[in-house]
Amino acid sequence: MHREIQRPDTSLTSVFIAGLCLLLTMESVTGAQTQSTPVNPAQYAYPALGATAERKVDVAWNRYYDCAGLEGIMTRLHQAFPHLTRMYSIGRSTAERPLWCLEVTARDVGDPARKAGMYIDGDIHGNEIQGSEVVAYTAWYLCHQYGQNKQVTALLDKRVFYLIPTINPDGRDFWLHQAHGSSSSRSGVAPLDNDQDGLCDEDGADDLNGDGHITHMRIKDPQGRYKPHPDYPDQLMVRVKPGEQGQYTLLGSEGIDNDHDGRINEDGRGGYDMNRNWAFDWQPNYVQRGAQDYPFSQPETRAVAEFILQHPNIAAAHSYHNTGAMILRGPGRAGGEIKSSDERVMQLIGERGEQILPYYRSIVIAEDLYTVWGGELDWFYGARGILTFSNELWTSKNLYKTGQSASQEQRADFLKYLLLGEGIIPWEEYDHPTYGKIEIGGTRKEWGRIPPSFLLEEELHRNMAFTLYHAHMMPLLRIVDVKVTVLTEKLHEIWVTIENQRMIPTRTAQDIAHHISAPDIVSIAGAQVKALSAGKVLDRFFKKVEAVQRRPERVELDAIEGMSVARVRFVVAGTGPFTITVDSSKGGLHKTQGRLP
Amino acid sequence: MTKKKRCICHLLVMAYLVAGNNTLLARAQTYDPYESLQRRIQGLGVQHAGSVHVRSLGRSAEKRDLWLIELGRGSAKERQQRPAMLVVAGIEGNDLIGTDIALAWVEALIKGDKTDKTLSALLDTTTLYVIPRLNPDTIERYFAPCRIETRVSHQACDDDHDGLKDEDGPEDLNGDRMVTRMRVKDPEGDHILDPKDERLLIKADPLRGQVGTWRILQEGIDNDQDEQWNEDGPGGVNFNRNFPFNYSFFAPDAGIHQVSETETRALADFVVAHSQIGLIVTYGAADNLVKTPKVGGDPGRREPLTAIDEEDIAYYKKMGETYRQALGLEKELEGHTEPGTFSDWMYFHQGRLSLAIRPWSPALAVAMFKNEDKDETPDSAEASKDLEQEDPEKGNSDKKEDDTNQEERQWLAWHDKHAPEAFVPWQAYDHPDFPEKGVEIGGYRPYALSNPPAQLMADVSTKQQAFLTEAAQTLPRIRVRDIKVKHLGESIFEVKIQVENTGFLPTCLAHGQRTRAVFPTRLVIDVTDIRLLSGERIQRLSTLEGSGGMAEVRFVLHSLKQQSICFEVISMLAGRVSGTITLNQD
Repeated sequence: MHREIQRPDTSLTSVFIAGLCLLLTMESVTGAQTQSTPVNPAQYAYPALGATAERKVDVAWNRYYDCAGLEGIMTRLHQAFPHLTRMYSIGRSTAERPLWCLEVTARDVGDPARKAGMYIDGDIHGNEIQGSEVVAYTAWYLCHQYGQNKQVTALLDKRVFYLIPTINPDGRDFWLHQAHGSSSSRSGVAPLDNDQDGLCDEDGADDLNGDGHITHMRIKDPQGRYKPHPDYPDQLMVRVKPGEQGQYTLLGSEGIDNDHDGRINEDGRGGYDMNRNWAFDWQPNYVQRGAQDYPFSQPETRAVAEFILQHPNIAAAHSYHNTGAMILRGPGRAGGEIKSSDERVMQLIGERGEQILPYYRSIVIAEDLYTVWGGELDWFYGARGILTFSNELWTSKNLYKTGQSASQEQRADFLKYLLLGEGIIPWEEYDHPTYGKIEIGGTRKEWGRIPPSFLLEEELHRNMAFTLYHAHMMPLLRIVDVKVTVLTEKLHEIWVTIENQRMIPTRTAQDIAHHISAPDIVSIAGAQVKALSAGKVLDRFFKKVEAVQRRPERVELDAIEGMSVARVRFVVAGTGPFTITVDSSKGGLHKTQGRLP
Repeated sequence: MTKKKRCICHLLVMAYLVAGNNTLLARAQTYDPYESLQRRIQGLGVQHAGSVHVRSLGRSAEKRDLWLIELGRGSAKERQQRPAMLVVAGIEGNDLIGTDIALAWVEALIKGDKTDKTLSALLDTTTLYVIPRLNPDTIERYFAPCRIETRVSHQACDDDHDGLKDEDGPEDLNGDRMVTRMRVKDPEGDHILDPKDERLLIKADPLRGQVGTWRILQEGIDNDQDEQWNEDGPGGVNFNRNFPFNYSFFAPDAGIHQVSETETRALADFVVAHSQIGLIVTYGAADNLVKTPKVGGDPGRREPLTAIDEEDIAYYKKMGETYRQALGLEKELEGHTEPGTFSDWMYFHQGRLSLAIRPWSPALAVAMFKNEDKDETPDSAEASKDLEQEDPEKGNSDKKEDDTNQEERQWLAWHDKHAPEAFVPWQAYDHPDFPEKGVEIGGYRPYALSNPPAQLMADVSTKQQAFLTEAAQTLPRIRVRDIKVKHLGESIFEVKIQVENTGFLPTCLAHGQRTRAVFPTRLVIDVTDIRLLSGERIQRLSTLEGSGGMAEVRFVLHSLKQQSICFEVISMLAGRVSGTITLNQD
């Protein structure tokens, strides 16, 4: 009996029957014996909708992985699905960690380099870690569902995914492996002299009590302006009312004056912002903090830029951040580049995202958030014409699913009643070299910006679903029709109709306006066929054609718009077979044969 | 001030002598191809190992070294801590004279080091970085069998955005080993001949009833038969348009993004790593010395500055005056800006005083070598008379019409007199693309408008070198002016340290402060055996203006056992000095 059901079976009925038999068997066994059998429950699992029953690579999606862990997931996926994946490093970080990319597509269906590409990365800010799990989950899901799920199969047959879980592996491991707060380690780890004293990174926060977290320091002080919260005295500090006597002064993040300059924690590791280092609408540090000396000065951002430049087929992109539950799009600064037709498509995709992702708002950075100069998505769109989103993952609205951000009291309750106190670091006394007797306490670094275990998997799947929708909307071309009409015995007209079956045009308005990628080219070739005239069809009923000025064997099209067709007419002399080729950077290479009578 | 002026004059004369002498002895009036340039640079490093240090910043796209010459005595560490100046030349692909100036300057300084105390003191106290040729690949094309002037690196490009690369570039049709211009007698053209000098063309002005009869094109054929000539030749990046300030995205010569090229990145990384560079001179198409550049007000918090800060403009003005004096210019000429220059990046984002020099242009030629015309042979005197006669002539007829193209005529007249070979006379050519139309090939020779003629090279170079030497003397320089110690009793002391800037430039420009790219000068005191009762271990000083600007730091301290305390003053651009405070209880 056991042997039979160990084999994964896609037929639901047989699984059901097998399950029934198992139940019966177990019942009869429990009746007779007192000792249970330590079987592997995975072998008796019933699939829930949303994930496959068979898991060639088992990954627990309710926890976080460091760089080695992510590399392990990707390597295993690559080994388990060699026909769907390639794994390579697109460059190295400051600390020489590889920037791993898992390229996912049906490798034996079409040329991967000519499929429309979806680029997804995470973790550009080292502490915003769950983006990496979303990207890894996406790879895991796509690999396992290929051949199982019709839509996924079509996606991988026609599209290619470039999945880079972390483009800031240094910042990620720094955050995961060392003592931090929830918001520290946003930067990479290249040394920087934040306090302009000629030394780099000489006075960062210190884990004084050795608990692996950077929390807060407070000192008992009758002149202080803070006191413990009356209802949550162990967790929350509140400001006293005007005129009320306080009990504590807050002293900031855990640390000492390492360099004896009279300041604490003023120059920690790094201190720049890789999401301000991109070469579009870039401004230096005095205008945009964290920008560094010039665009793409950092090895991580430069590696991504070079990768994008080498892959002109990339038609859509996504970059994960936390927090706030936002589906962000550019421009990053007021008056920045955005063409209205591109904005319209982004809006439509974003609206679908708001439905897929409860509590998420689809908004524009410059208008609805704050000004960002030199952000990643501005370079992707502004400089490369690629429609790009950036999701800010996680919101405290998820804590009670009320649609409201949780108050600090509600958050404290969540820690108490749902996490059973886990995450709280109680205040403890400490003898500080500068402040004397103080107390250190607060919450663990995992609290605040990333979901707890049982809310993580939902976040991964929903965000992935949004990017798959985005990927689905990348241009998808089809030569619908090639019609030959006779003009004279030797002269024919060939009418070619090409359809874009998706919402995103082959070239965005930004791409066309700045000649970023090559135009789409529809051409004709045939041993005994000579093109005399060619052009784009402006009106198919009145047969209005805009003739090309040169090279009548090829017609350049600015783009094939979303959910629309383009038509081209060739006037040719000759006889015999001919080939029509449609060559589009983002729409792929398509050929079809025909024959002149 | 007067003292300073006299000093400047002395320097001028001296630099003339040194550089002129050297040129006469050592070199012929030609430009160096890469191989001989490299030999010359490496030779300097070998022969003058104590004061010249040569290394490569990296390799170009075609694997040529990007040489850096560092002048200054002392250990590498000492040189890295001194006030420093950087000269960059050959960053644009057609700049030959800049390289020549930069290298000749180095040679002149080495030579002068033995004889001139000022120069030898300069090499003791200052570090001079010279990058003579940042774009060796493109500049090497000057020495190719066929000359085509270009500022950009050579990469396959789709200039006309048709999905094909380099399908229609220029050609040397008449076999004179250079690509000049061709003019086609063509009713479709939009130019007419200049009635006053038919070698020149003017754009037809329909408002004056002018009908175009000539088409003007670069020499070449229509390779792809699309009725456009040379619309997609080899293109690439002008390195001096590839820097982040005022970068022109999508411009054909700007590069795929800021600092995209190996060469520009090598330069950017070099200046970032050498933060002590306080003054930069870049040779190229832009110029902010022939005319004082534009001033801008405070842009406001978190807004970018787009014109020179009003507090900094005086230094640009002063440098411009010195420059024009060195070149013998009587008045300001038209300045010139370009997007994305290295020079602008160094001021607007890096907060350094950054000078841009266009070492040659027809306007500069006319201004520099005008006065001497009058003192020369009768022949040339007559020619210059012709030049001047244009004015009265102009007065007689319709003023507006006469003004058109006057400057171009003046330039051509200058070339007729000083460098007649610069303009290739128009010659009829039987062009396959224009069988029925008259085609003539001619016009200015490649590089003729961007580099001086051979016989003026030495003169131009000498004057430029004189300016560079003077500029190098302006760097800020700190020293400890005074230390006052007062015993307050019971081993408690009040200490006042005065620091001054003996250089001409301030320790930090206003914009250096705004950008935070130039760190504040700081005084660091050794606290091992003292207890500070007032004052910080690391004390920041305000900006010290040049010519004796001063700041005072005050401490109250309790000495535990020490009789003397060490301190160091560290300025990013003005060097560092250390001192000792002697505590005396009497």
